[in-house]
Amino acid sequence: MTRWSPLRLGTGLVLAAWAALFWFLLATDRTGLFLSTRTAWLVPSGAILLTVAAAGRLLSARSREPDALSRREAWVLGAIALPVVILVAMPPVTLGTYAVGKRASFVGSSIGSSVRVVSGPLDFVDVAAAQSFDDASRALAKRAGEPIVLDGIVSADEGLPPDEFLLTRFIVTCCTADATIAQVRVVGAPPGAFDADQWVKVEGRLYPIGREVLVAAERVEAIPAPTVPYLTP
Amino acid sequence: MALGTARRAERSAPAEPRRDTSAWIPVLLVLAATFGVVRAVDPAQIAWVRNFLIVFGSLLVEAVPFVVLGAFVSAGIEVLVPASAFARIGRLPRALQSPAAALAGVTFPVCECGSVPVARRLVAKGLAPSAAVTFMLAAPIVNPVVVASTFVAYRGRDTLWVMVGGRFLLGLGVAMIVGWVIGVRRPQDLLRRTTSIEAHEVDDAEPRWRRFFGHLSGDVVFMARFLIIGAAIAAAIQTFVPQTIVDGLASLPVLSLVAMMGLAYLMSLCSESDAFVAASFVSFGPGPQLAFLVFGPMVDTKLTALYIGTYNRGFFRTVLVTVAASTLVATLWIEVVFG
Repeated sequence: MTRWSPLRLGTGLVLAAWAALFWFLLATDRTGLFLSTRTAWLVPSGAILLTVAAAGRLLSARSREPDALSRREAWVLGAIALPVVILVAMPPVTLGTYAVGKRASFVGSSIGSSVRVVSGPLDFVDVAAAQSFDDASRALAKRAGEPIVLDGIVSADEGLPPDEFLLTRFIVTCCTADATIAQVRVVGAPPGAFDADQWVKVEGRLYPIGREVLVAAERVEAIPAPTVPYLTP
Repeated sequence: MALGTARRAERSAPAEPRRDTSAWIPVLLVLAATFGVVRAVDPAQIAWVRNFLIVFGSLLVEAVPFVVLGAFVSAGIEVLVPASAFARIGRLPRALQSPAAALAGVTFPVCECGSVPVARRLVAKGLAPSAAVTFMLAAPIVNPVVVASTFVAYRGRDTLWVMVGGRFLLGLGVAMIVGWVIGVRRPQDLLRRTTSIEAHEVDDAEPRWRRFFGHLSGDVVFMARFLIIGAAIAAAIQTFVPQTIVDGLASLPVLSLVAMMGLAYLMSLCSESDAFVAASFVSFGPGPQLAFLVFGPMVDTKLTALYIGTYNRGFFRTVLVTVAASTLVATLWIEVVFG
């Protein structure tokens, strides 16, 4: 004769809650808010593993000697489920200017970066490489004056004139804990038109000056935060 | 087997916690209230709270699948591998056990969060604690995914092979040194007692598949608590401590090594991504960068919580001191030769 074990049901439900979080991230396209495209596979993997674990625990939750759930155990299980509740309840947000001041600058791989910079469309990873390595910097200097389109967040700098701001993009290898930054200075933007943390698309021309990269803006427009807000090197 | 014995001992312990069939009601109310408050107030509007929640969430979203994977392996070991298999390994000369355990890490491509539950199970099944700890510390550094990510992060640099080879060899070496220091401790001297949740999860008389899921859920719930605490501390540190805090120490010989080890501890990065962050510290030489890459996967904020929760008092201190000292000496030598 077996009966439901409240303790086993409790652990099974906590595992199910975590599985639900991973399915929620998948269903709402929020994986990119936490992980890079390189590690995005962890979310479906986690969802499947946790679903199997939860299903197995719930299917085996009947016992000949069922254990009740003590208050302490209930609170422990609740504490384990708490991050699920918070992450599901919070709106889809990305790292912002607060994090800019806490992060190191991205340094790309030197090999291949100068080749990438020589031709083709330029992105923040190329800019970061040019800010780090001499050969990439020389290659980018040869493309001064060429058009460029960059998406990023506005991060203000108190020392800049009103028509300038720093355009920042976070580069994430695995998760946002390892985020580094790539930045360009945008000049000729409409003064006061954009707030810090706002996502914008900047179209303009590129001017590397030493290790600093300027973009003379021809058009700056506000855009919604992209589904994949972080770049992956 | 040892865990099972501990569970039975705990079952018969007189200090049984107070049990209440309605114990979960206030917990559910608190969770529901938290959901409502977060939706209504949106604390992510505050910059530092947003930063904390994103980093906290991403650490968990990245680490939990590895912990669960480790728990699957751990439960499989418990249910499928007879204790006699580990007893045979235990009869090998001790001088062979640690190197073999360290090299076994090459076959286990998960980060540090996944290796802790496996090592815990190996100790409980009777593998020599020194070998299990060596495996636990080496696996996150010497597995092929981490070697490849280190290669990608440093390719094109003069120090490529110093970093890739140095990290691999130092990972093996430091893990074996810790295993040697752990020495002949008995499993019961190393592992903490199981918790009441774990103790009641498994009934040894049940069919194998039920025991498998009992051990699996017990391991996940056990590890999750400490992972959540560690991730919260690491996220708080990342929120308030800038990565550039160590920049001024780059040219100082020994302090630069200590600073990078300290930074690795605070940042709690996954071993599969930390090479990209280490590579961004261009003002530091190969020694300090290696110190970051070897120390971090063995000792960091979230691992501290996992170690303290899993192992007896003194284990964390032993690991911290041994890993720090051996990493410091080895990377100082590397900095002198290659820096």
